[in-house]
Amino acid sequence: MLKRFSSTIAATALLVLLLVVNIWLNPGRFAPASWGALIGLASPLLCAALAATPPILGGRGGIDVSIGPLMGFANAVLVTGLIGRLEVTSPPLVFAAALALGGAIGFINGLVAAVVRIQPIIATLGAYLVLTGLTVTIVPAPTGSIPEWLRSLSQSFSFVPVLLIALLWWAFTRLPIYGQLMAAGSDDRAAYTAGVNVTAARLVSYILAGAFAGVAALSLTALIGSADPNVGPTYTLLAISSIALGGVSLAGGRGGLIGAAIGALDIFLLQSVLTFFNVSTFVLQVAYGAILVAAVAFTPLQDLMMARRARR
Amino acid sequence: MKLDPKVLARHPTLGALVIAVLLHLAGTILIDGYSSPFSMRAMLVLAALLAVASIGQTLVVIIGGIDLSIPFVIGFANVVAAQLTGQGVNFVVVCIIVSALAFLIGALNGALAAWLKIHPLIVTLGIGTMAQGAVLIWTRGFPSGSAPTFVSDFVSIGGSMGPIPLPGLIPAAILLALAITLLMSRTPYGRRVYALGGNPLAARYALIKPIVMWAMTFALSAWFAALAGVLLLGFTGSAYGDVGQPYLFQTLAAVVVGGTSLLGGRGSYWGTLIGAVVLIEINTLLIGLGLQPSMVQAALGAIIIILVSLYGREPHLRTTI
Repeated sequence: MLKRFSSTIAATALLVLLLVVNIWLNPGRFAPASWGALIGLASPLLCAALAATPPILGGRGGIDVSIGPLMGFANAVLVTGLIGRLEVTSPPLVFAAALALGGAIGFINGLVAAVVRIQPIIATLGAYLVLTGLTVTIVPAPTGSIPEWLRSLSQSFSFVPVLLIALLWWAFTRLPIYGQLMAAGSDDRAAYTAGVNVTAARLVSYILAGAFAGVAALSLTALIGSADPNVGPTYTLLAISSIALGGVSLAGGRGGLIGAAIGALDIFLLQSVLTFFNVSTFVLQVAYGAILVAAVAFTPLQDLMMARRARR
Repeated sequence: MKLDPKVLARHPTLGALVIAVLLHLAGTILIDGYSSPFSMRAMLVLAALLAVASIGQTLVVIIGGIDLSIPFVIGFANVVAAQLTGQGVNFVVVCIIVSALAFLIGALNGALAAWLKIHPLIVTLGIGTMAQGAVLIWTRGFPSGSAPTFVSDFVSIGGSMGPIPLPGLIPAAILLALAITLLMSRTPYGRRVYALGGNPLAARYALIKPIVMWAMTFALSAWFAALAGVLLLGFTGSAYGDVGQPYLFQTLAAVVVGGTSLLGGRGSYWGTLIGAVVLIEINTLLIGLGLQPSMVQAALGAIIIILVSLYGREPHLRTTI
């Protein structure tokens, strides 16, 4: 059990440290009364990191770099199309639309990456360009407004998007296909010879990524309160960094959503500390790069030192 | 010659070449002046810049890695070179400083990834972010300065070398491509890169040192990215930290369109060169057809996926058992 989580230990320790520092520096912002708004701030990145995880678990270079642009695209379509033009504002319909839109685009990504077998990073970078281009065409500049209930998803009901993803993922892990996906991720050739439909498992992982990104888009929409073409794409690299930070192996087959979530919270809390000290965004950038490298280097360094001690 | 898709699948570089020729024919038919000397020269210069930036990505992909720090190193070199030149530092000294820093960044990328077995995607992203952030801190976000005039002349679309109506960049890029091809096919270094990318375990038994090789290859990658950054400084005229951003996708796309597998061990720089030409042809064609920049981007993404699905598909799992 300990072995299973050893790669997440560094990220968890960092999380505890950052939480303590944050609470000490800024007790008001971290008081229970403002948890709603706080989770609302962290939620888009958290959801994005969760969304980017399933394809990575499937292995053989599986990755979805179109998560960020997909969030931006869904944000644009939902705010200007569904809410603005069609005037559909009922919560179940908007949630269903977000899941369906994200899932459909995830399905296309999965077709290209898993069925046509184009290297996933190229397949989803293609989708990255397509979605970014379409978003700017639909919404050239920030515009639109959102209903009050949607706004509350970044305030008192900010736990809803994360909870929804967690429930969907939990349901997924109860299915046999979850085991098949993890088997494909750790050794796809062995899984294939054992009769696992590797292609289907990977296709489903991209659909999940898309659907989760749709939920992430709702969380983002709630936070920014409009349709904005420029915000979405920035989440891709942050999400993938979160996953690596959280100890999920980019080679696949190891880790899960919990590691990704811890990594995302690390990045959010780090940003929170550094903005408290009012450092420039440039310093933030350097610190963020350094922490990323240090955190992913921590576990292998520890292993190396343990191996050296064992040899002595 | 009948173009059987299966032949193209076996010879992806040939496939890319056919696509490049077809694209150019399509452009000439559809758009007035597409094959005019000026437009040809512009395309050649843009393709040469992309080809230089993609050298490193090709080597790194063949060894089995990926380099996301290329756009950051391009921006880093672009700003540092401009800033130092603006402060009156001799250009030779500027080149030495930028080269040394680039080598350092690249070697750190490769050594960390190979030594600690961290995915190169994360290492290069982290180190690249730090390098760019450091430059932004140094210049306070407002880089100044520009390239010496001979660098601008070297990459200028209207430039010429004596009687040849081409800027020096074009023949230089061709010579560079020859040198890289020789490096990869005729030197122990090149063979070791292919060996490591093809089968890391077997390469270890052949006494190839992975950490040294990765450090060297990523250092080369960063150096060529820095070279592209300095050339871009001459091309655009002034320093801009984000000048490299489009090159993240474009270098990877050039490598893959040119038939190099991201799984490592296979591919060639000639392929990447043709891949760079294909990308520039598509871009020019789309802009020539009057598409908005955002739609050009969207169409480019879709076209690359279609192209790669024609001849760059991965083998099915059952063929790898």
